[in-house]
Amino acid sequence: MTVIILIAAPEGLRGHLTRWMVEVHAGVFVGNPSRRIRDRLWELLADRIRDGQAILVEQAPNEQGWAVRTAGTDRWRPIDFDGLILSARNRHTTS
Amino acid sequence: MADIWWKAHPQDLHRLTDRVSSVYIERSHLDRDENAIAIINKRETVRLPAALVAVVLLGPGTRVTHGAMQLLADSGTAVCWVGEQGVRLYAAGLGPSRGAALLQRQAWLVSRPPERLRVARAMYGMRFPGEDVSELTMQQLRGREGTRVRKLYKQHADQHDLAWHGRVYKPGDAFAAGDDLNRMLSAANTALYGICHTVIVGLGASPGLGFVHTGAATSFVMDIADLYKADYTIPLAFELTAAGLVEERDARTALRDRIAETKLLTTIVRDIKILLLPEGEEPPDSDANHLWDEHAGTVAGGVNWGVFDEDYETDLTEPDLGDQHIAVIGPELDAPTQGTGRP
Repeated sequence: MTVIILIAAPEGLRGHLTRWMVEVHAGVFVGNPSRRIRDRLWELLADRIRDGQAILVEQAPNEQGWAVRTAGTDRWRPIDFDGLILSARNRHTTS
Repeated sequence: MADIWWKAHPQDLHRLTDRVSSVYIERSHLDRDENAIAIINKRETVRLPAALVAVVLLGPGTRVTHGAMQLLADSGTAVCWVGEQGVRLYAAGLGPSRGAALLQRQAWLVSRPPERLRVARAMYGMRFPGEDVSELTMQQLRGREGTRVRKLYKQHADQHDLAWHGRVYKPGDAFAAGDDLNRMLSAANTALYGICHTVIVGLGASPGLGFVHTGAATSFVMDIADLYKADYTIPLAFELTAAGLVEERDARTALRDRIAETKLLTTIVRDIKILLLPEGEEPPDSDANHLWDEHAGTVAGGVNWGVFDEDYETDLTEPDLGDQHIAVIGPELDAPTQGTGRP
């Protein structure tokens, strides 16, 4: 199973994704796209997300059983601690 | 010209075998909303993941917009209008398969009597497992098939304690004649034809080039559907009638459930490949754009093969309707503002 979350996505991107996946709540998409289709959809989303954020959670053959991809501005980055995937967020200096 | 980034590449599309067989829609509008295919009625709006569906069945009271059809075609989804009394209009753009290899192979087989007989025998062979049909004539095969189907009807009638007075239907108007049993059979068969038609078109074969059936525009559809009637529509019609479910809708939904349970789409794809392709071969799935050449086989398409001469530009006009067509165009409206106006 694959879950994609889109936040503040540009016009038309969410609608486009509903052709492949079911939007179970605003911006939350669930489906079973094949690896190839997943990669191609992700390429398109990452390319067009601009000021929003896109998060894709998919099954993966690792210890956790899943992996995450993120794209967009101010995104949280998945980082790899010897096989354990954790999230890193930027520290904003309050100005 | 707007940027059409939403267009799907053939590689973006799910293979037919990975799709849900059919989605049935009635009394709703199908529209395009922010690049999604939206099913809209008075109460709610639902977005249709068309790339996951093999065929969309449109029932009575549906209205489809140009934008919705554009997205359906782009998703490689077939559309079939089904109505009361089993009326059917079928539309398919380019399915997920964009090559012509399978179609050429089918035409080659159907136009050579020995090959055609081999395929027709194989079709009957699928229905008589364990029997050797390789020496039988078409006449003998037809006779056996008739006996087999008659036996089936009788067996199911006895099992469900129903009176069976033979199959009655009027070609072209299957619902005009017959009792409940016959109407249920016709309804289930209509849906089965729609599914088979979808798979055939989706694989890039021709619905018209049949091996056993001939002459009708859906000959190959009937050939393929006949492989599954004994396991699907015949038992279903008797079961439903015995349970007092005699609406067309009952036949359609029950058939769909059974198709999902048994993964019939995968079976149809496999069987068509077995019948049309040499053993173990896969159809080359390229949307090759070639031009045929009697010596070289093929040359690249999309190339101007005229002798290039700077003073002479070939006039490459697009083929169109010329100035002979009549256009009906609505009044000019103000250009839509950016974005969709939300209520």
